[in-house]
Amino acid sequence: MPRKEGIYGLIAEFNTPSELVYATEQARAAGYRRMECYTPYPVEEAAEALDFHKNRVPLLCLLGGLMGVTTSFLMETWVSVWAYPLNIAGRPLFSWPAFIIPAYEWTILFAGLSAGFGMIALNGLPQLYHPLFNAPNFRNGATTDKFFLCLEAVDPQFSLDGTRAFLEKFHAVSVVEVDH
Amino acid sequence: MSLGHEHHGEAGHHDHHGPRVLPASLAAPEEAIKAWRTRLLIVGGVAALISLVFFTVSGGPDHILRAYLMGYMLSFGFAGGGLVLLMLQYVSGGKWGLLLRRPLEAMSRTLKLVAVLFLPILFFMKRLYQWAAYPDAKATAAAYAKGLMTQEQMLTANAKHLMLNPTSAIIQAVIVFGVLLTIMALLNRWSVQRDADPEAGSQSSYDRWRIKFENLSGIGILIYVILLTDASIVWIKSLDVTWYSSIYGLQFLVGQGYQVLALSILSVILLSRYEPIKSIFRTTEQHDMAKFAFAFTMLNIYFCFAEFLIIWSGNIPDEIPWYLARIHGGWWVICSLDFICHWLVPFCLLLSRDIKRDKSKMIWVTCWMIFARSLDMFWLIEPNFKDAAGNLHLSGNFGILAYITVPVAILSIWGAYYLTELMKRPLVNVNDPHVEEILEPEHAH
Repeated sequence: MPRKEGIYGLIAEFNTPSELVYATEQARAAGYRRMECYTPYPVEEAAEALDFHKNRVPLLCLLGGLMGVTTSFLMETWVSVWAYPLNIAGRPLFSWPAFIIPAYEWTILFAGLSAGFGMIALNGLPQLYHPLFNAPNFRNGATTDKFFLCLEAVDPQFSLDGTRAFLEKFHAVSVVEVDH
Repeated sequence: MSLGHEHHGEAGHHDHHGPRVLPASLAAPEEAIKAWRTRLLIVGGVAALISLVFFTVSGGPDHILRAYLMGYMLSFGFAGGGLVLLMLQYVSGGKWGLLLRRPLEAMSRTLKLVAVLFLPILFFMKRLYQWAAYPDAKATAAAYAKGLMTQEQMLTANAKHLMLNPTSAIIQAVIVFGVLLTIMALLNRWSVQRDADPEAGSQSSYDRWRIKFENLSGIGILIYVILLTDASIVWIKSLDVTWYSSIYGLQFLVGQGYQVLALSILSVILLSRYEPIKSIFRTTEQHDMAKFAFAFTMLNIYFCFAEFLIIWSGNIPDEIPWYLARIHGGWWVICSLDFICHWLVPFCLLLSRDIKRDKSKMIWVTCWMIFARSLDMFWLIEPNFKDAAGNLHLSGNFGILAYITVPVAILSIWGAYYLTELMKRPLVNVNDPHVEEILEPEHAH
């Protein structure tokens, strides 16, 4: 992959989550889409402001669950009917009621794992390098008591001067340029 | 997050993030509720009139009685289930509980009507229950000699005689309603006193009332579960005197939770078109309650399937016929529909976050759940009778259609009474710390 160069985005630092949420809402209203909030703990309003609730995790979870139920049910059928047929209390070999509970457990297992790993994958993790760590105040602040909004340079709305002026309207503690 | 929100309020940046205020009047929207009640009464009246037709059909009166039992059990489910969910929200706490409290109280107050509705069942007991038709060993022996009872039915009826005989059934009904009406009366009276407390709004008042309600509700839930187990056995399960199932009472409990949650969500969504519920009803709470309904959907199928799986594995002649009578001879259609309507459809719909948070879609989901619960009740009741066991048929048996009209009539009348009770009180219990929380913006934790 060619090394990316130039500016990654502008990051604004805030002292309170409300200021962050307000700035995010305004940025969205101004047409910015490629942006991200960084907070030391989950801030639901920030997710709301980013319109973040529509993502693919539920779909992955559903697909995982369907995969689990099918895999388990077919496997049990194969084992009981063809691979190792056993006469259990004179019941038919294909005794589906007995297959339900393992199939149910596999549904939960697969759904849980695909939700967990799917979330990690969709977040782009594991990630060994992220440009934001080039910002001097980000490293400590984002994990303790500061709230950051980053407007990314890939956004068509982005212009170095215009976006900086926009972010400075919100009384941010600082607005810092982040390099790739 | 509280800090952040205060800041928001001061800055006045955007109104939807600031705390809201309770409207001046907390009274129920009488006009709207009266209109709903009129509609219910019209539906109930029409259904009752159509039901009369079935008196002329052969086997009709019997079916009307059975359908009455079904409608009765559904009404009891709303009233008793409302009472137990009311107690549950007192012990669990939570904002959803404050939101549902007055609707649940209104449901629990319908127990008075439900107790009266039980009288016809007591009166016509002999036509419904074998143990009532043949109340002692001599009678069962005579019935066996005439071929009216199988040997097994005769022997089990004799063995279960202490619990299943007319006198004992009356005593059990008196105890069930006596205890439930007492608990209901206390909870409802205290709720009014709580709001009228001169110290209302102070920490000591909050604590005193919370502890008082918790102390009754905790033990009340246990008592309810025991009484419901007894009632469901005597009223429904004993229609088939030979059958055993230790999960029966719990299954009814979960079924009641299912139908009561559906009706509660429906009630608050409809009420949220008007003040005061409009001001306090947040999507967050609707989402929470829908998740709760989803949990009950799962728990319900879990119990139903567990019972089936255990009996299927055991495969013993004492228990298996109960299922055979409900699967063979056309009943598999109802059985499959029961599974699809009762679990598959609500399960798939309630998986979706968007549906759970959408008011108009949830109206449909909750109505569907109430319908599905009724279908389940039909499947539980009708195959108990000799003419229907393993033999679902319509030709020459039009009386079976009474299962559609009679329960609709009873539930409509019940519903009208529920709405009447709902109008009697302000819709928000104000002397409760949750009031402040529920007025906060969405997501405030």
